[in-house]
Amino acid sequence: MSTTSNHSANNRIGIIRTFHRFTVGQRWEHLLLMLSVIVLLLTGLPQKYRLATWSHNLLSTPERLQFVQQVHRIAAIVLTLVVIYHLANAFYLLARRNLPGDMLPTWKDIKDAWQMIKYLSFFNSKKPLFGKYNFEQKFTYWFMFFAIGIMVITGFIIWFPEFFTRLLPGGIIPATKLAHSTEAIVIGIFVFIWHVYHVHIERLNLSIFTGWLNENDMRTYHELEYHHLTGESSENPDRGESQG
Amino acid sequence: MIFHRQSRRYTLLAAGVLFILAFIAVSQVTLAGLSFQTEPAATPTLSPLSIGNETCLECHGQPGLTMPMENGDLLEVYVNPDDYNNSIHGELGYACVQCHRSVGEYPHPAYSASDLRAASLDLYQACRGCHEQQYALAQDSVHSRALAEGKRETAICTDCHTAHAVRPLKDRTTGELLVDAHVWIPQTCAQCHSAIYEKYQESVHGSALIEAGNPDVPTCIDCHGVHNIEDPTVASFRLKSPQICSKCHTDEERMAKYGLSTDVLNTYVADFHGTTVTLFEKITPDAETNKPVCYDCHSIHDIKATDDPERGLQVKENLLIRCQLCHPDATINFPDSWLSHYIPSLEHNPVVYYVNQFYKFFIPGVVGSMVILVALDLNKRARTRYPKIRKMEVTQEQVEPQQAESVGEPASEEDQHGSLS
Repeated sequence: MSTTSNHSANNRIGIIRTFHRFTVGQRWEHLLLMLSVIVLLLTGLPQKYRLATWSHNLLSTPERLQFVQQVHRIAAIVLTLVVIYHLANAFYLLARRNLPGDMLPTWKDIKDAWQMIKYLSFFNSKKPLFGKYNFEQKFTYWFMFFAIGIMVITGFIIWFPEFFTRLLPGGIIPATKLAHSTEAIVIGIFVFIWHVYHVHIERLNLSIFTGWLNENDMRTYHELEYHHLTGESSENPDRGESQG
Repeated sequence: MIFHRQSRRYTLLAAGVLFILAFIAVSQVTLAGLSFQTEPAATPTLSPLSIGNETCLECHGQPGLTMPMENGDLLEVYVNPDDYNNSIHGELGYACVQCHRSVGEYPHPAYSASDLRAASLDLYQACRGCHEQQYALAQDSVHSRALAEGKRETAICTDCHTAHAVRPLKDRTTGELLVDAHVWIPQTCAQCHSAIYEKYQESVHGSALIEAGNPDVPTCIDCHGVHNIEDPTVASFRLKSPQICSKCHTDEERMAKYGLSTDVLNTYVADFHGTTVTLFEKITPDAETNKPVCYDCHSIHDIKATDDPERGLQVKENLLIRCQLCHPDATINFPDSWLSHYIPSLEHNPVVYYVNQFYKFFIPGVVGSMVILVALDLNKRARTRYPKIRKMEVTQEQVEPQQAESVGEPASEEDQHGSLS
């Protein structure tokens, strides 16, 4: 599917083909996910490192601590709702046999990753060709999928320890607490090194907010998807497999 | 003739005897008269300090000697000479009048107080003369504050140390508290705080002291201080109380004797509750918090050994009772949420141990591989993209007029990326 939009610059008329990439629902999901994760990290990390001087001012009085915890919990509820919506939507689409398989990991992703490493290390001269989502984006999605899963589950366990210890041994509370606070570090590092690098530094990719990707980026980074959408044949069809 | 001579001899003898008797009698009278005259004349020239304790004890050593107060109560002014002589002041040779400076003359100047307590509250000021430092410390105590609020029964120097039978408490050469004094201290406090003493003597600390004379255990003053005894009911005392317990409980040498862990403080601080308490103590020491401190689980005065069969916290049910004080919905699995001051290991809390081990490898693995990929990518761009982009800029200028439609904007975007990387 492709759309067109007109831009005027320097008295010239440039026509850029744009490709629809994300639905409104997905864009909202991402926005809420991003905001809630930022708030959760900002209110959670000081709690993890509360004996460090930089978190002192935030948590030094019972009132402030309570406030920070309340904000954390509200953001946690927002994130949980996003997760529930995401899963429910996936199951709904699955039930209607309408779930796009673009995000599912395939054998090609592992090969792509290997090809990419070889390309980046100057062993290969050509980049592997990617479909709608490249292996890095899939890795980001699934990494965050499981990380957020861990955070939501462990978060609720340490939020309601009295309830969960009715069902589970008490020893899981300190274990979930450790997992929750350590997984947060993993998420923080992951988002800031990996995700921010790929969407801001490697190239500014705002398609998750705008919903579309321009033709050039589409062709450069998602060549297989580009050809799939435009119906044009791939420049070197023997290099990649078409996306299902 | 012979008789005559004889009678004269007897007369002389009698006269001599009479003379001697008379001389003795006169000299006695003169001596008595002299002594009467000299005594009052000498007294004013004497310093009060030269009045020996014997002088005072002539009267005050008489049991039952009393003096009426304004309300009719009788102040006992008898001093047991043995008590005083065996006291630290008696041993060191201090005189009664060194404290009782205003009563050096006899008859004593008039003294009156409304009642017995008023007399004590007046007379104990004498301690200040030598023990100004301790007196000043005591001014900061909860007792002095209570006194200022009008609670006259609050402890003053003499209530704890007694007035006349002041016992030596420290070894004079080492300055260490005497072993006996360890036992006396709780007994002294028990004069008023008897209910607490009863709890204390049943506790792991108190029983070791009282039954076995063990000086390693804390007495009242080790936690509450000596003269500047703080109010233990305020928030600040609560927040700093873990530091009080850890004075001994992080002392390797002392704890090794009893096979006790010295990790109790750091494991407490590492957990939710302890972290909060430590942080508040550091930043807002007056903050009210419901987060538990040592004594919320281990009790305040009736602290039991954790392996105590009846109330020891190693028994999960006993710990649960403590948890339920703040977590009323807690059930029997809940106490295991607390790591019981153990550092997680395979033996203690293996789940926590495994989670920790997992992240020990997972985090470096994730960070490492991400950093490698990003670094490879940056490296690739730095070496290959720059010349390409420069070439594009040149071609762009040539191409632009003809092919502005499709190439113009993407090319300028490429330009941006180039400058970013």
